[in-house]
Amino acid sequence: MMNKWDIPGAPAEKPTHNAITEKLKTDLLTLNMGPQHPATHGVLRVEIKTDSEVVAAAIPHLGYLHRCMEKHCENLDYRGVIPFVDRLDYLASMSMEWTYVAAVEKMLGTEVPRRAELLRILTVELQRIASHLMAFGTYALDLGAFSPFLYAFDEREKILRLFEEISGARLLYNYIWIGGVWNDWTDEQLTRVSEFLDAFEPETDKYHDLVSVNKIFVERTAHVGVLSVEDCFAYGATGPVLRGSGYKWDLRKNMPYSLYSEFDFDVPVGTAEHGELGDCWNRYIVRMLEVKESIKIIRQVLQKLEPGSVMGKVPKIIKLPKGEVYMRQECPRGELGIHLVSEGTDSKEPYRLKVKSPCFTHVSMLPHMAPGQMVADFVASIGSIDIVLGEVDR
Amino acid sequence: MSYTVPHNSFKKYFYDLFNAVKTTVVGMWITFRYVWGVKSVSIEYPEVREVLPERARMRLFNDAQNCISCTQCAMACPVDCIYISSEKLPEGAEIKKTSNGQSIRLHLTQFTIDTALCCYCGLCTTVCPTECLTHSHDYEFAQYTIDAMKYDYLAPDVKAWRDRIVKA
Repeated sequence: MMNKWDIPGAPAEKPTHNAITEKLKTDLLTLNMGPQHPATHGVLRVEIKTDSEVVAAAIPHLGYLHRCMEKHCENLDYRGVIPFVDRLDYLASMSMEWTYVAAVEKMLGTEVPRRAELLRILTVELQRIASHLMAFGTYALDLGAFSPFLYAFDEREKILRLFEEISGARLLYNYIWIGGVWNDWTDEQLTRVSEFLDAFEPETDKYHDLVSVNKIFVERTAHVGVLSVEDCFAYGATGPVLRGSGYKWDLRKNMPYSLYSEFDFDVPVGTAEHGELGDCWNRYIVRMLEVKESIKIIRQVLQKLEPGSVMGKVPKIIKLPKGEVYMRQECPRGELGIHLVSEGTDSKEPYRLKVKSPCFTHVSMLPHMAPGQMVADFVASIGSIDIVLGEVDR
Repeated sequence: MSYTVPHNSFKKYFYDLFNAVKTTVVGMWITFRYVWGVKSVSIEYPEVREVLPERARMRLFNDAQNCISCTQCAMACPVDCIYISSEKLPEGAEIKKTSNGQSIRLHLTQFTIDTALCCYCGLCTTVCPTECLTHSHDYEFAQYTIDAMKYDYLAPDVKAWRDRIVKA
């Protein structure tokens, strides 16, 4: 027997590669998602390699919104940096401001009046509600539901209107200043906050009925984009992404800063009511539960508020002593870290300002989440980590 | 949701169907209730305008008669959009007073703000000692060229639109 087929000249084994199979092989298709794609939440470009409908690899390309903010801040006085840190996460400017201002105050040793600290907590928690409402609305929009977006924006608008009255701007406030806050809230405005919370609390239940338990939404998000706690630790994920994986870590609770130790609130983690821990649904539900916790905190702030000064004693020209400080706080999207280095009292400008942004960490998890997902599920994954590109690129 | 999810795949099929119909109906009912009784929140912009809050930070306006050319605003500005220059008053010139009693010892020769650069942070208005630099409530100042965004507050026609935009 000369070969398997008993034909002279034929190869010993069946050919695995010939000209036809060479032509018939499947190849990965490179697809660019963004930077002007509505589902990428800003100017994020994700280069995805697709094998038919399945994503084989995803490579995020950053830098479309890079503004040289860190370098630019080295040529600004300490007060002038505040409008620039506003523009990091433009959906949660108050949190950004507070982290930077707290870093400067720590180096300066400023005593902040109690009313100012409470007002900061009030504004930051309101901002957290506004930011999570935005995340909720756009996430539902990504998955094809339009009306939750409108309901969320209706409520968010009321918060922004309050912020516009106290600070003068709708998004980029420059409200939290070194030593305190810019303007005091009037009693009438505080009453309106209280009324808003009373009206808003039933609305959250409505969102729950409308979106969270909806079968279509659950099917789209449960068991999609699963991140284990080990993955979150390996990448350094924080905020709702870490808590969605079931790990209870919140800087307000674990390492209380400001007056947070006085407040009674819970740290919500993923419930795994639908899907499994660490999937898109659990990251989503953590945000919705956090909104309720923020409402709790604001109610307590309103009870604790007493009249008083809102601005501490700060020199007219701020010069920090030589040294460095790393300040981190819990922002709606995770832990924001500000590393501030000062050259000494001769200089009115920071020597170096490094921002550790949570969104950058979460974007770097996309290549880990993407392989094996459908393209539509990948959109759900991007939405669930809730990134703001102003903070990713800086 | 107090049902226990059946493990039997036949039962699960019908349970999923029932669940899908039920949650969709609940959601549609929430949306449907907005047909009546809910007041519209959107504003038909050019016809109806929202009244801005008192502290709203829109276009900057400098009341040049009260300016003492101290350049504190230009130094506080994080984006350097305020161009200000002044010269010494000639000998024996009359020293005018601002509305809050400070004497004007310098003659203001240029006060221009590049509104295209301005980031509306409000830092310049807080350092102004005579409170002549303020944020007005004018937010409709789109222009065809970027040069037209530079507003000269010493121009002769400044009085014409001053009354329109300055806060009462």
